[in-house]
Amino acid sequence: MANSDPEGVDGVRMTWNVWPRTKLEASKCVIPLAASIAPIRPHSDIPTLPYAPLRCRTCSAVLNAYSRVDFLAKIWICPFCYQRNQFPPHYAMISETNLPCELYPQYTTVQYTLQMDPYPNNPSNAPQLQPVFVFVLDTCMIEEELVFAKSALKQAIGLLPEQALVGFVSFGTQALVHELGFTEMSKVYVFKGSKEIPKEQVLEQLGLRAAGGRPTAGYPKGLQNGFTNTVVNRFLLPASDCEFTLNSLLDELQTDQWPVQAGHRASRCTGVALSVAAGFLGACLPGTGARIIALVGGPCTEGPGTIVSKDLSEPLRSHKDLFKDAAPYFKKAVKFYDSLAKQLVDQGHVLDLFASALDQVGVAEMKVAIERTGGLVVLAESFGHSVFKDSFKRVFEDGEQSLGLCFNGMLEIGCSKEIKVQGIIGPCTSLEKKGPNVSDTVIGEGNTTTWKMCGLDKSTCLTVIFDLSSTDQSNVPETVNPQFYLQFLTSYQDPEGKTLIRVTTVTRQWADISVSTEELIHGFDQETAAIVMARITSLKMETEEGFDATRWLDRNLIRFCSKFGNYRENDPSSFSLNPCFSLFPQFIFNLRRSQFVQVFNNSPDETAYFRVLLNKENITNAAVMAQPSLISYSFNSPPQPALLDVASISADHILLLDSYFSIVVFHGMTIAQWRNMGYQNQPEHQAFALLLEAPQVDAQIIIRDRFPVPRLVVCDQHGSQARFLLAKLNPSATYNNATDIAQGSDIIFTDDVSLQVFCEHLQRLAVQS
Amino acid sequence: MATPMPSGVPRQPPPQTDNPNFQQKQESLPDDLQKWNPNKPSPFPGSAPTLPPLVRPPPSSSTSAPSQPNSRPGAPPPLVVPGPNVPPNVGSVRPFGPPNGPPSPFRSPSGPPSPFGPPSGPPSPFGTRPPPGSLPSSMGGGPVISPRGSGAPGPGGRPGAFGSSSRNGPPVGVPPPMMVTGRSPGPAPSMGPFVGSPQASPKPGPPTQSAPPFSAPLAAPFGTQTWAPGQVAPPTAAPNAAVQPPRMFGMPPPQPNQPLPAIDQTGASLEDARKINSNQIPRPTTSYSKIQYDTRQGNQANIPPPASCDYIVKDTGNCSPRYMRCTIHQVPCTADLLTNCGMELALMVQPLAPLHPSEEPIPVVDFGEGGPIRCSRCKGYINPFMRFTDHGRQFICNFCGCVGSTPHEYQCNLGPDGRRRDADERPELCRGTVEFVATKDYMMRDPMPAVYFFLIDVSMNAIRTGATAAACAAISQVIADLPEGPRTMLGIATFDSTVHFYNLKRVLHQPLMLIVPDVHDVYIPLETDVVVQLSECRKHIEQLLESIPTMFQDNSTAESAFVAAIKAAFLAIKSSGGKLLVFQSVLPSVGMIALSARDAEGRGNISAGEKEPHKPLQPADKALKTMAIEFAECQVCVDVFTTTQTYVDIASISVIPGTTGGQVYYYYPFSSISDPVKLYNDLRWNITRPQGFEAVMRVRCSQGIDVKEYHGNFCKRIPTDVDLPGIDSDKAIVVTLKHDDKLQDGSECAFQCALLYTTVYGQRRIRVSTLSLPCTRNITNLFRATDLDAQFVCSLKQVANEIPFTPLLQIREQVTNICINKLLAYRKFCTTATTSGQFILPEALKLLPLYTLALTKSTGLQTDVKIDDRSFWINYVSHISTPSAVCLVLPQMIAVHNLDFDKQEENGSAIPPVLPLSSEFVSEEGIYLLENGVNGLIYIGSLVDSNIVRQLFGFSTVEETPTQFALQQYDNPLSKKLNDVVNEIRHQRCSYLRWTLCRKGDASGALFFSYLIEDATPKDGPSYSEFLAHLHRSIQAKMS
Repeated sequence: MANSDPEGVDGVRMTWNVWPRTKLEASKCVIPLAASIAPIRPHSDIPTLPYAPLRCRTCSAVLNAYSRVDFLAKIWICPFCYQRNQFPPHYAMISETNLPCELYPQYTTVQYTLQMDPYPNNPSNAPQLQPVFVFVLDTCMIEEELVFAKSALKQAIGLLPEQALVGFVSFGTQALVHELGFTEMSKVYVFKGSKEIPKEQVLEQLGLRAAGGRPTAGYPKGLQNGFTNTVVNRFLLPASDCEFTLNSLLDELQTDQWPVQAGHRASRCTGVALSVAAGFLGACLPGTGARIIALVGGPCTEGPGTIVSKDLSEPLRSHKDLFKDAAPYFKKAVKFYDSLAKQLVDQGHVLDLFASALDQVGVAEMKVAIERTGGLVVLAESFGHSVFKDSFKRVFEDGEQSLGLCFNGMLEIGCSKEIKVQGIIGPCTSLEKKGPNVSDTVIGEGNTTTWKMCGLDKSTCLTVIFDLSSTDQSNVPETVNPQFYLQFLTSYQDPEGKTLIRVTTVTRQWADISVSTEELIHGFDQETAAIVMARITSLKMETEEGFDATRWLDRNLIRFCSKFGNYRENDPSSFSLNPCFSLFPQFIFNLRRSQFVQVFNNSPDETAYFRVLLNKENITNAAVMAQPSLISYSFNSPPQPALLDVASISADHILLLDSYFSIVVFHGMTIAQWRNMGYQNQPEHQAFALLLEAPQVDAQIIIRDRFPVPRLVVCDQHGSQARFLLAKLNPSATYNNATDIAQGSDIIFTDDVSLQVFCEHLQRLAVQS
Repeated sequence: MATPMPSGVPRQPPPQTDNPNFQQKQESLPDDLQKWNPNKPSPFPGSAPTLPPLVRPPPSSSTSAPSQPNSRPGAPPPLVVPGPNVPPNVGSVRPFGPPNGPPSPFRSPSGPPSPFGPPSGPPSPFGTRPPPGSLPSSMGGGPVISPRGSGAPGPGGRPGAFGSSSRNGPPVGVPPPMMVTGRSPGPAPSMGPFVGSPQASPKPGPPTQSAPPFSAPLAAPFGTQTWAPGQVAPPTAAPNAAVQPPRMFGMPPPQPNQPLPAIDQTGASLEDARKINSNQIPRPTTSYSKIQYDTRQGNQANIPPPASCDYIVKDTGNCSPRYMRCTIHQVPCTADLLTNCGMELALMVQPLAPLHPSEEPIPVVDFGEGGPIRCSRCKGYINPFMRFTDHGRQFICNFCGCVGSTPHEYQCNLGPDGRRRDADERPELCRGTVEFVATKDYMMRDPMPAVYFFLIDVSMNAIRTGATAAACAAISQVIADLPEGPRTMLGIATFDSTVHFYNLKRVLHQPLMLIVPDVHDVYIPLETDVVVQLSECRKHIEQLLESIPTMFQDNSTAESAFVAAIKAAFLAIKSSGGKLLVFQSVLPSVGMIALSARDAEGRGNISAGEKEPHKPLQPADKALKTMAIEFAECQVCVDVFTTTQTYVDIASISVIPGTTGGQVYYYYPFSSISDPVKLYNDLRWNITRPQGFEAVMRVRCSQGIDVKEYHGNFCKRIPTDVDLPGIDSDKAIVVTLKHDDKLQDGSECAFQCALLYTTVYGQRRIRVSTLSLPCTRNITNLFRATDLDAQFVCSLKQVANEIPFTPLLQIREQVTNICINKLLAYRKFCTTATTSGQFILPEALKLLPLYTLALTKSTGLQTDVKIDDRSFWINYVSHISTPSAVCLVLPQMIAVHNLDFDKQEENGSAIPPVLPLSSEFVSEEGIYLLENGVNGLIYIGSLVDSNIVRQLFGFSTVEETPTQFALQQYDNPLSKKLNDVVNEIRHQRCSYLRWTLCRKGDASGALFFSYLIEDATPKDGPSYSEFLAHLHRSIQAKMS
């Protein structure tokens, strides 16, 4: 695997690339069998085929490069179930020299386009496939914030494709659905904020039910023209048609007019607003790709989804409250959003959340709806902040930077019959489709081999956790089956509304551990393993009560080291690890210190936010979250990676820390002094100017590619903002051992153990018998 | 003491005529007294306190006196007696004084039968006579009262003069002697002079008696109408006609002296009703000349003119009958007496009734921070009948008798007549109706702004029938008539199956439409800006009203969430309260309290409807009442304008206006041609008529009488008060009364209606109307003092109330029985046995049979009436004023084909004489206009000169008669005259009227003829003469 593209064409990375044969063996490996897949990650080498995939009669696996083909008999054998399938007539031309694309060995991943539209000439069908954007705007904000939010919205609307349908909901004490198609005057449907409104009622109350039969939830073919058209005309208009209306509407939109009692929070019915938006969207265009884009400026205090009372004397729930079960609104709110998530998934619609507030807004509660639908989430301090502004813009931008937002994704996983799927961690929802490959134990979204991803984009990444069949495989002749196969089939709608199916088939080897662990060890992917551990830890922290993450990680690491380390029993000094494992303990060390495990430094909202992204990003990005990267800039050498250690701080260096959510440019003391004196402005010190500029440029490169846009912190040594860096560094130098500190370096005021101490303990414990 | 007495006594009597029937000059009395007083003070400085009482006594005593002489033929003897008795009385009076008085008074009357004999006697001797009225009046006259007065003055024995008593109706009755004194002075001769100069108040002389009594004696005797069925009739009939119209109201035929009993009771056997000459049947007189009416004369309540005629009131102590009218203008002393007479004692209260242009406006009195003076016990307001004592330092409440101390700054010396010297300058001391400026104590909050919220139906039917457009146009025009200023707030909402609010705030480019879709649990979409200051947002409002009809042009929603819409609108104005004007076109079919088309129920068996109460006439859902009460509590008054083509369940809907002081307007079937103008006019009148917000009303009565019940459009949360979120000049409330004790014969019983309200300009006011009536033990008096209109309206409203709960047949029977019972009572107690074969109608009730017949044929009691029509009628009746009620039941018909456009009618009115409601008077060659205050029908005879038709209506043949029609004025004198007449009628009725053209042979013609209540109809009953015959038979049957 090349470093530059560890995921390759397939976008698949696995903790173990060679699997033990038995469940028992697998459990001894400590790190679970898991794959991180990027279902629609674009790659130039993926061919697109203009026809439908050919599927196995019994297991419906798609014909792929690993299928054995009998050209004479025009038969192919499914590698998963060994079913012999006759080629259909249009494959009649097949021969050894005339292979269809999907049988080329290098095309393990292929993409099929489908002509879903039976009437390509019917123009009325075309707009139905246009993406739909429903903006849900909070109006309980100070004037200034609302102005920011409104201008961001206007900009976004300007960026939308002309045919994209747009709807608008604003909310405060009540939820207001704007009927954009009403030309006489601004017309708004007002829903009470304090009452949960079932979807049927939303439809009825918006006058949508009488217009036609209820379309069955499903796919575009379920649409009825008359029905959707009235809806389209009333609430959803092509961006080009309603841009003016929306702009003037936004101009007139004021902050919520309902009075706020002194000493109280504004009354904000986020829950109702979202369920109303979901409700009418569901009625409008079930099965079409639609996003609810919510801009929220504070906590929900009214109606379903309330996370805190209006009384300001009651603070928002903290992790401590959640831990002690002292957050009275939490569970109810989560339950509400859970049902909202179900509804959205049914409809195939996405919830995106852009939260900008100094305090929490309830991401922790909404997370379930966002993650299950594959929505985006961005947490910022203000709608005027670049984290929000730039991220929001990115969502709608076209071109290379585009997020490639797709809709209505459906993932099917097929695998060799010894293999079971426990579940997926990541932005998707189980469709509860049982099959022989479904494991009894569930991790994440399980109990199925099919998942729904209402929203997905280029970078979407899922972690599939596998298990092995508990039945003994010894009776399976090894010769027949030295390989096992996994097939990931993702169907989705791309931003233009085309329906695509992407099939990735991978094969890996079985290894007989009883013979040797060598193969196994070489098949280990440390980075992936660490991130999978991180994701599992996060999941367990959220779902298991009283789960002690640190201890669990430690125990697993110790077990792991015990299993794979080379040592003499009870002799710590004899301990050594295979280079294939060498980075793993450090990953775990940083993970233990990261925001994912040490939640108490963050609000539940932040934690939820971090976790959503941890689960959704690819391994490389996720690794940066858990273990930030540090680059050091100095006069003497080109920029080079530095140890994530306090020792890396030096007075005459500039450090660039990328912790994914924030990027810190840290000027050593001397550099800061020089800069303050303005040397960089003097021609003779152009080098200094360049040095100052270099990390900034690199930071911008990182920022440009990343979504959500990270927060850029520029700070100086000993400055207050320096904490953003110090918090991430290995505290090898603390006030406890401050004596042997290099000049210009720094110390961290903490009692946390350093990596060195950690490793010492690890060694000691690993070798214990 | 002794000294004053003698002097006082002699003088007092003369001036006063007691008989209410006589027009008396009150002023004259006081003046006279005052003159007299000055003298007194000097001689008896020390006795000053006593003086006041003296002053007053005279009036009462005097009143009694004159009447008596008149009434009684043989009066002389009593006269003699008095003189001597006086002094003793004084003495005796004192002790009994005010509070305890009652017992003694009662005794006295009964005890000393002999002395009273003459006065009280009349009943028996004259009982036979119809007009005994005169007698009773004398009885009531007040000798009884005087004691009280005298009692109060205590110190000065002479107050015994009783004069004062007249004011303090209830309490003490003075022993007979008093009466005597009264009389003695009042020898007939004195009266003569007064007669001549009734108006000359200044005259010292006792000009109490007005000429009329004497001049009209002739009439009087005939007062009681006799109806001679077949033969005899002629004489009576003629006189009646002549007599009735006369302007003397109070005066009915008091002349006891004229023993013409025989005439009165001309009776004829009713053998053949059909022979009755319809011209002889009692009918309302065709025209009334304007009548001047003083509420009190000679310190005696004056019987008011009929409610339906044109009169000008001068408030001389009692309130105008427009504000408060009692069913009987004398109060029976005992409950038994009341029961015997078969009548109901009730007050028709119309606190904001419009004044005649020639009448003086109601004086507004500002007592400053202290607020109006009130009795400390019963909280009665200061009024002319409160008596000041102890040099004005104390006053005695005429309701509860409690003695209160006068606030220092309000004290004033008393004149020799016992009145405060400043009484004539202070409206509250000399006027029956005054308005006090309310202080903070009368406000729970600042007076509410004038808030108007318009709620318009925009459902498919409303749009298609043009109702929405009509409503919008009407509102848009009427906005100009709303009170100016920053306190006027306005909001608009529309509804179909959802409720649409509009943000009318200025800063928006255009109104923002806010839809409340949850019609099961409504709420308001904005806290502010839904109701805005009119002055600031006029433009937006106009723009909105203009665009509503087009905006909903293609609305395909047929459903209506009417109740939810009302509720939502209520929520929008809940904080301030205000008027909610709803325009509705279809049955509320969705949302909270959705109603179903109940009109279909039981349609199949209409006859069953007559035998059992008709469910659809009752509100469908009790929740409406609950909701209405909530509205009322928040001072929201709802008016509903129903512009419909179908059944809308008015029975249910009207609960809300009925409870909140509003009303229902009914346009069925709505016509976009003829109705928009009426809608506009109705709306305009609704908004511009005198009215008040957040009102509370209470009626107080003197001891012995208590309020039994209130009927009308209001909300009642505590037994004593009625809450009126809105009250206007058209709304009347019936207050039924009951005895809880006996009253003293000759005393006065006072009623006071206090209405605390906020004007449209945000002033908090208390309008206080006081009516003080004499008490009587004489049943004949009761019949003479009966107010037919009030009586009738009272029973009309009670009947209307019962319609939903009682089978029609039973109600009709009940209505007839009420009539029979009254006549029977009269027959039993007031006529001689010899006349048993005759059918005798008391003068005051001579139209009762006609009214009764009309009622049984009215929309409310007719057989074949649409549910909604009947419900509307019931609701309408529940709040209408006395004049409107009379005309509703008994429409006016005039001929218009022969309008004489050069001639003004005698009384200056443009309206020609009315015709009897009988088809005999309808010629196929004529055109007739018939109106009942709600509907106006123009009947075009089939043989009418086409020229006339063209002149009047613009088409030439009867066949072209359109079904929908708007009255237009064409350029010809006849048309102008017709329009003048119509406008005059509209003006009188304060109603634009819904016009229909009728012609023979179709439904419209049938409709017209259904209003001719004197005709017999197969379904709804007998002709007038048949009905009279029926009454006579029934009475005879009961007599035997």
